[in-house]
Amino acid sequence: METSFAITGKGYVIVASDTTAARSIVKMKTDEDKIKVVSPHLLMSYSGEPGDTLQFAEYVERNLRLFHIRNNYSLRPSAAASWIRRSLAQSLRSRKPYSVNLMLGGFDVTADTPHLYWIDYLGTMTEVPFGAHGYGSYFALSLLDRYHDPEATLEEGLVTLKRCIDEVAKRLVVSPGKYKIKVVDKDGAREIEM
Amino acid sequence: MSRRYDSRTTIFSPEGRLYQIEYAMEAISHAGTVLGVLAKDGVVLAAEKKVTGKLLDLSGAKEGGYGGSGEKIFLLNSNVIGGVAGLTADANSLINYARSAAQQHLLQYNEDIPVELLAQRLCDMKQGYTQYGGLRPFGVSLLYAGYDQHYQFQLYHSDPSGNYSGWKATCIGANNGTAQSLLKQEYKDDIEVKAAISLVLKTMSKTMDSTTLGSEKLEFAVITLDPETKLPKAKIYKPDEIDELLQAEGLAKKEDDNAMKS
Amino acid sequence: MSRSYDRALTVFSPDGHLFQVEYALEAVRKGTCAVGVRGKDVVVLGVEKKSVLQLQDPRTVRKVAMLDDHVCLAFAGLTADGRVLIDKARIECQSHRLTVEDPVTVEYITRHIAGIQQRYTQSGGVRPFGISTLIVGFDPHDTKPHLYMTEPSGIYSAWKANAIGRSSKTVREFLEKNHKDDLSREESIKLAVKSLLEVVQTGAKNIEISVMESYGKITNLDLTQIEAIVSEIEKEKEAEAERKRSRLAATAAGQASMTSRATEATSGQ
Repeated sequence: METSFAITGKGYVIVASDTTAARSIVKMKTDEDKIKVVSPHLLMSYSGEPGDTLQFAEYVERNLRLFHIRNNYSLRPSAAASWIRRSLAQSLRSRKPYSVNLMLGGFDVTADTPHLYWIDYLGTMTEVPFGAHGYGSYFALSLLDRYHDPEATLEEGLVTLKRCIDEVAKRLVVSPGKYKIKVVDKDGAREIEM
Repeated sequence: MSRRYDSRTTIFSPEGRLYQIEYAMEAISHAGTVLGVLAKDGVVLAAEKKVTGKLLDLSGAKEGGYGGSGEKIFLLNSNVIGGVAGLTADANSLINYARSAAQQHLLQYNEDIPVELLAQRLCDMKQGYTQYGGLRPFGVSLLYAGYDQHYQFQLYHSDPSGNYSGWKATCIGANNGTAQSLLKQEYKDDIEVKAAISLVLKTMSKTMDSTTLGSEKLEFAVITLDPETKLPKAKIYKPDEIDELLQAEGLAKKEDDNAMKS
Repeated sequence: MSRSYDRALTVFSPDGHLFQVEYALEAVRKGTCAVGVRGKDVVVLGVEKKSVLQLQDPRTVRKVAMLDDHVCLAFAGLTADGRVLIDKARIECQSHRLTVEDPVTVEYITRHIAGIQQRYTQSGGVRPFGISTLIVGFDPHDTKPHLYMTEPSGIYSAWKANAIGRSSKTVREFLEKNHKDDLSREESIKLAVKSLLEVVQTGAKNIEISVMESYGKITNLDLTQIEAIVSEIEKEKEAEAERKRSRLAATAAGQASMTSRATEATSGQ
């Protein structure tokens, strides 16, 4: 089942998401990228109703890009998160709401700080040091309570992430096989191989 | 003959000019002067008031950034102050628009509106009034002094055509030419707020029609960073604070002037 | 009486003119000059920029704007109109990506901009945009550079090289004389600078050059680079003048010797 994690550390945010695209009980493919780089210093992982997720992610991406091209700088993570949350909240009160859960990891270049936001399809938003969506969160959150360190280096952060992934693989009945991992820091966003 | 192109709405004259805009700018060049100076750690605005009178009630000046008498300098958002020159009624409606635009941004993005974006929002509206039928342009120029995290302290000027640009120091309204050249001579790139305040007051005293400065002719505001919270803090001076400041700068009325009056 | 045909917003006059559109073109002719030059696999935009005043922030005085990663626009005419039109175009660029997942082609966005300009010459209660634009860029998955122009009337056209704004006629004539097909990067830049120098007397500091070399790759030349090109051009001009002068001198000397020989001949008789 769909699972995503995100962890902040010293000057970075790691976002990881499984790569399964499933319909009912059938896996359609196992290399789906569910983390979008929505602006140079902002990552968004999405899960939920398959069509909605992509539609909404692209809508977000284009609007953030428009802001960038108009102003020659990007929205800061906090501003982007507020805008995205608002879009979801507005959609929730429409006739056909988006059913999308998000994790937004970004690096604020004006203040040199990493930020992580947890957003669900009801328009709930909280800024968190680490977070998770999906069944995997039941295992990962307690692990992260124990092992998360806001001052950890990227290598240490990845080790903690590995713990979460391994635990989910071990305990969850319908655990996903593969994950995609992306990181954002002062140099921008990039993918990392485990 | 040229009246054919300068009445009614804004349309092109045969030479490709928009007379309505040019006339609006003309109106502004007679309005009370507004002057702004950008410093390293803040921005200073001063304005010359035109509506004066012995019986004018200034006790309505409030605490908390709203201190002015409300004719020339306004708080547009917690991080931007605006100074207006031109038709006061037009200005009031623009101020109103600016304030709600700033609040809309706050609602959408949960952050204070960047200064340039606010100027752009107003300019889009001003431009619209030069292009759509049945409207006349706004007879108002504005100075925007503010702070945001992208470009730190900034000073912008916008005119009735919907153009805007950023400045280190500039001046709009009556005698702006004199003030501009004075600023050009005196401005230093690494000026600090304290020196900027003196520069503004000195320039104002030289460009204003009256010989002496006093709170009944002057509005004054400064935006700086709060040393504790690191957030922008706008201060619009109250009349007695302006007099105090002038006293300190040695630009106030002479004592014997007052004595003569009483 | 032509009076009532150029006053109300755009309507036809009895002899078939749209006066407001023609007057809008006058506004363009008052604007600063912009040139576009298309080379073999590069396209160059050059604009005359007004001197930035001493206390002004140069960041806020812009004449060239990116519409998307791969399309760039320069305009001549009313600055505020330009800003508004650019904004509309930028929205269309992103909206196009959202609906069909592809970036716009240069022709598509040009047609869109021209379409907006046309609407403002026809629909009620508005005046036309007082700007012409030059639009340059590369289409996705393509190496061919493009250069288009739009006008207040809503006309758009593709060009090898063209100019808009102040003295654009002179510049266009210069370009017609000097443009060759398949110019290299350096030649294209040089031609753009050279043609701008026809109207910009003050040299490098009032010239801005943007070069697009491939999809999404755009560079703005800095002042020293432009200065170098300007001085190179001046040197060439001087050399050319020198050659002319020496040739003139040579012919003059030749003529003089001819006449003196002739006089000798006559005096000898």
